[in-house]
Amino acid sequence: MAEQELHFTDEELNEIEKIKAKFPTAKAATLRVLWVAQKKYGHVEPEVQALVAKTLDLPESHVHGVASFYTQYYKEEMGKFVLDVCTCLSCQLCGGYDVLHQIEDRLGIKAGETTDDGLFSVQEVECLGACGYAPMVQITNGVYANNLTEEKVDKLLENLKNGKMPEFESMVMRQNEKRIKAATE
Amino acid sequence: MVEDWKSYEPLLIPDIPNLHKIDVYEDNGGYEAFRTVLGDQDKWSRKNVTEEVKAANIRGRGGAGFNCGLKWSFMPEPDDRPRYLACNGDESEPGTFKDRNIFEFNPHLFIEGALIAAYAMSIDTIYVYVRGEYIDWVNKFEEAVEEAYEKGYIGNNILDSDFSVDLHTTYGAGAYICGEETGMLESLEGKRGYPRVKPPFPAQKGLWGNPTTINNIETLANVPLVINNGAEWYQSIGVEGHTGPVLYGISGHVNKPGVYEYPAGMPVMDLINDVAGGIRGGKKLKALIPGGASTPILRADQLEGVSMDSNSLREAGSMMGTAGMVVMDEDTDMVDLLWRITHFFHHESCGQCTPCRDGTGWLEKVMVKIKNGNGEIKDLDLLLDMTTMMEGRTICALADAAAWPVRHTITRFRDEFEARCKKSVHAVA
Amino acid sequence: MPEVFIDNERYEFEGDHMALQFILDQGMEVPFFCYHPSMSIPANCRQCMVKAGQYIKDDETGEYELDENGERKIRWFPKMQTSCALKLQDGMVIQTQETSEEAERAQKDTLELLLINHPLDCPICDQAGECPLQIQTYKYGPEGSRFEVKKVHKPKRVELGPRVTLDAERCINCTRCVRFTEEISETNQLTIVSRGDKNYPMTAPNQEFDDPYSMNTVDICPVGALTSTDFRFKARVWEMNQTPSIDITNGKGCNIDLWTRDNQVLRITPRQNKAVNDYWMPDEGRSAYELFNENRASRPSIKLDGSNQSNTSWNNAIETFAETIEAHSGDDVLVIGSPHASVEENYALNKFFNLLGASNARFTPHIIDGYGDGFLITDDQAPNTNGCRLLNLNETDHKDLATAISKAKVCIILSDNLVGRKVVAASDLGNTYTISFATNMTETAKASDLVIPITCVAEHAASYVNIDGRIQRSFPAKETKYTNRRLNLEMSEGRLDRYGTNFDNWVSEEHKVDCLPLWDFLNKLAERLGLDYHVNHSRTILAEISSAIPSFENVTFEKMDEQQGIQLNLDNQKIKQK
Ligand SMILES: Cc1cc2nc3c(=O)[nH]c(=O)nc-3n(C[C@H](O)[C@H](O)[C@H](O)COP(=O)(O)O)c2cc1C
Ligand code: SF4
Ligand code: SF4
Ligand code: FES
Ligand code: FES
Repeated sequence: MAEQELHFTDEELNEIEKIKAKFPTAKAATLRVLWVAQKKYGHVEPEVQALVAKTLDLPESHVHGVASFYTQYYKEEMGKFVLDVCTCLSCQLCGGYDVLHQIEDRLGIKAGETTDDGLFSVQEVECLGACGYAPMVQITNGVYANNLTEEKVDKLLENLKNGKMPEFESMVMRQNEKRIKAATE
Repeated sequence: MVEDWKSYEPLLIPDIPNLHKIDVYEDNGGYEAFRTVLGDQDKWSRKNVTEEVKAANIRGRGGAGFNCGLKWSFMPEPDDRPRYLACNGDESEPGTFKDRNIFEFNPHLFIEGALIAAYAMSIDTIYVYVRGEYIDWVNKFEEAVEEAYEKGYIGNNILDSDFSVDLHTTYGAGAYICGEETGMLESLEGKRGYPRVKPPFPAQKGLWGNPTTINNIETLANVPLVINNGAEWYQSIGVEGHTGPVLYGISGHVNKPGVYEYPAGMPVMDLINDVAGGIRGGKKLKALIPGGASTPILRADQLEGVSMDSNSLREAGSMMGTAGMVVMDEDTDMVDLLWRITHFFHHESCGQCTPCRDGTGWLEKVMVKIKNGNGEIKDLDLLLDMTTMMEGRTICALADAAAWPVRHTITRFRDEFEARCKKSVHAVA
Repeated sequence: MPEVFIDNERYEFEGDHMALQFILDQGMEVPFFCYHPSMSIPANCRQCMVKAGQYIKDDETGEYELDENGERKIRWFPKMQTSCALKLQDGMVIQTQETSEEAERAQKDTLELLLINHPLDCPICDQAGECPLQIQTYKYGPEGSRFEVKKVHKPKRVELGPRVTLDAERCINCTRCVRFTEEISETNQLTIVSRGDKNYPMTAPNQEFDDPYSMNTVDICPVGALTSTDFRFKARVWEMNQTPSIDITNGKGCNIDLWTRDNQVLRITPRQNKAVNDYWMPDEGRSAYELFNENRASRPSIKLDGSNQSNTSWNNAIETFAETIEAHSGDDVLVIGSPHASVEENYALNKFFNLLGASNARFTPHIIDGYGDGFLITDDQAPNTNGCRLLNLNETDHKDLATAISKAKVCIILSDNLVGRKVVAASDLGNTYTISFATNMTETAKASDLVIPITCVAEHAASYVNIDGRIQRSFPAKETKYTNRRLNLEMSEGRLDRYGTNFDNWVSEEHKVDCLPLWDFLNKLAERLGLDYHVNHSRTILAEISSAIPSFENVTFEKMDEQQGIQLNLDNQKIKQK
């Protein structure tokens, strides 16, 4: 990708201005603008990092240091769907590794790899704050798929292949009976 | 120990459908505390608010359990510098998944608490920092913030008073260390999340060098309750030394995992057996991690008569942490479990300081060796010695958090670890 | 006055001090890596741990509380403290590794941890011998390692830029290099990348570490992670001599050390001087060592017919010089001093030819407008412009100098590459008999009729006045054909010099340049001309300058040595600063 091809649209620049307005320094916007860039390009490869640096008028080394520190930034191009399988503590106890191995098996790749058709990448990740709904997977830094079973995983893969993302699932406290009722009605 | 918990009605996340909408929240007494404070600034002077919150002794729900009002009182007198409240919604400690419920189901309670905190400390800007993985919750929360702005609870001359404050939401991008308060400040400033050396403490030099207070989301959600009902009332919930409602996150091998709200000081066994429906598949309880991955594990036999509050847990040999309880049944392999915990801390060390950067990796590598059956007894002693090499020697508490589970899991389940080790070739007959 | 107690000794202090620096200032030691006195304090290596506490004072009486034995009660801090970031407080008690087993243990532990992922390749590492990690490990480290698992692997032999090479496996993540580019050179070219034990310093992708000060990171890197691409594998430090000197590549006069082996300068590093360059120097100044070794004017040379120069004997050179002078009147001789030469050389040359009736020497400053950066790189390309001014040489611009040359019959140039730096063209020198005193065979020397090789800054003791008016001096670092390390007490003697002989295969006579200090040559010339002129040493010249010219009053080598240079008063000379 040649550098001169990369630029933000006016709309994106507007969004960036809004982000910058939250903070007293442009540097503070680094993480958020990397997100804007990743949303646009699907990754933050070196050229994208350079664009972010240029847009915020910051040293490229700074943006590079930040991009490489945080795990959610894709430092290289990933599959269309990135499956982040939590194998941490509670998920480990509840079958997180089974989910990981099942996905690896179905897709024929290992964690850290991308399928040849560019559809899926699989990663093993640390606790995602859904421990009570283990095992679980986050899809492309977005929606959580909770309480997975072998069938649910297969269904999830099937749906994704058909371009169907799971919907946000509200995990209501069991004590909130009225709320559960309201949600299911 | 709290006994009459069965009749407890949630206060932080009450059972009211659509409470996340500001109208519903207001219909149910929402923003009353904030109105009360702003409406009678003589009675509710900045100092009096802080004193009331201090008297309530809301123990920080982010893990360290520090008295919230006392922390507020560390802020220096206002001068011409900006002042910040940084709300910690990073929630990355394994076993912890409570704050997201506040964002989703009762965001205005937290906003109201943050506004009262800002008032009490003369703060002009509030940042809410949420972990990047919670993007769906960030979006939900931002809707609530927008509503609060529209209704004039946030902004300039709030409710026609002389008090003005802004609230900005932002989020990270995957780093547990950004939950450590000064790591979070660095991240808010747009940098690598390297925790800062203390002193200076954030109250002196926080965000961009200015006075800053950091509180957990759940901690701040408790504040309106205290203002509405008084410190004395708040103190009547829970147990001596640890009061108020707590969001318990129960996960692992229980029948009904999830977040539950009960008073502090809940009997551990009641939480596991009654609230969370007991161990899956009728199996026996083996162990509990009471407050997130870094809190020392307790064997089932250590849990008798223990309640979820700092004193009782300390006596039992652990800590309250985030009240993220991870329950393990009799089939749990402690070696595998500890290896995975060491893997977590190895992966999440920011790498800034030596004992943690190199120590966490060493811990994990020795654990891999033991897990694979190649360990020797001396490796267990090495691991224990390494915890001494790491604890209390680093910039932030991540190294301590990594060391404790190693020390306590090995000492409390030593037989299991020894059984996985080869007989040492160097053993003296 | 506030007091602290360190290893059971009482010290008084005033103002703000961090414990580590205070301890070092007392001449004691605590091992450290990440701390650097001129940069921010990240306290990340955790090497400088001490045990610390506070004597307990009774709030009301202000008296120290005593225990049952009458000893002052101490409240120890709950954790070990990093002394670099520990601010001294009145009544603070500190125990270093000397008196506290806990501190000793903590330091040992940190070293063990630092070494587990370190490649331990000292035998092939340039830093060996001057490596803080190596030294501290010997002094405070564990006997062995208990690390029996796999080390982390990271990039090696990465050319970060044109001058600096990285071995990330050796890096201990002290962040000194990164802080240098953020806080000192302000190019922000480096960052730490990745996280945890995969951390290492890097540039942004596709960017070069071409910071004009990049090589300072090599100096401050406490391990062999950053090495000089040029110096890599050239020499072991213990084979070299280290001689204090002054950077002559620009007007700042950075204080430096010349590192020599077998009479070749192999590298140049900055020497700390708070008043001039602190711990730093520009990369440019470091490559000057080539000037001292290569393309030197060695043995006099003379143009016989046409434009071909050939070497000649010293006797012949003196004879030719003398005959030329004798054949012309003083008016016909133009003397051109040099901002590139020392105070002593300029003075001696000017005085010598004044005695012969020539008028005051001229000189042309060597300024490139806009070249400087306001830090250590200056518009002034020469080390002694202000020296020439204070000696009252005639400051002459390009045009006037060319005119003066065209009028002169004999032109004497003190080491200044006037042709190379385009003050005059080689053809301008064609019509006058040109004699160059030269350190190097520059275009100017090559265009001259007679070349007298003289010593360079690495071979003599002489002084230079920098753009701020500070006079500082050099020491002889390499021998010439006519000097001898063992006889010259000003020269340092390294191991190889002391124990080697001329028959060892690492001693090369050719490294000794066949040249003389300017003043020595002038002595010989005076003798031949029957002129009443003789100086023993640059020291004698400076003494004369000091008594003759008020600006140099009380200036001596000794005083310069004591005070790391002397600030002269430039004001009354109406000197313009560049
Ligand atoms: C490694 C580490 C991670 C932490 N992560 C979090 C976190 O995710 N959320 C949180 O609120 N506090 C976290 N903390 C605790 C914070 O540093 C801080 O104590 C807390 O946010 C203060 O708020 P509180 O007093 O209201 O609890 C963490 C601490 C450490 C050492
Ligand atoms: S203890 Fe670990 S996480 Fe904390 S600052 Fe040091 S290296 Fe970073
Ligand atoms: S390369 Fe050297 S100076 Fe830079 S961080 Fe590593 S050890 Fe420190
Ligand atoms: S352990 Fe998997 S979400 Fe917390
Ligand atoms: S020198 Fe003090 S921590 Fe590095």
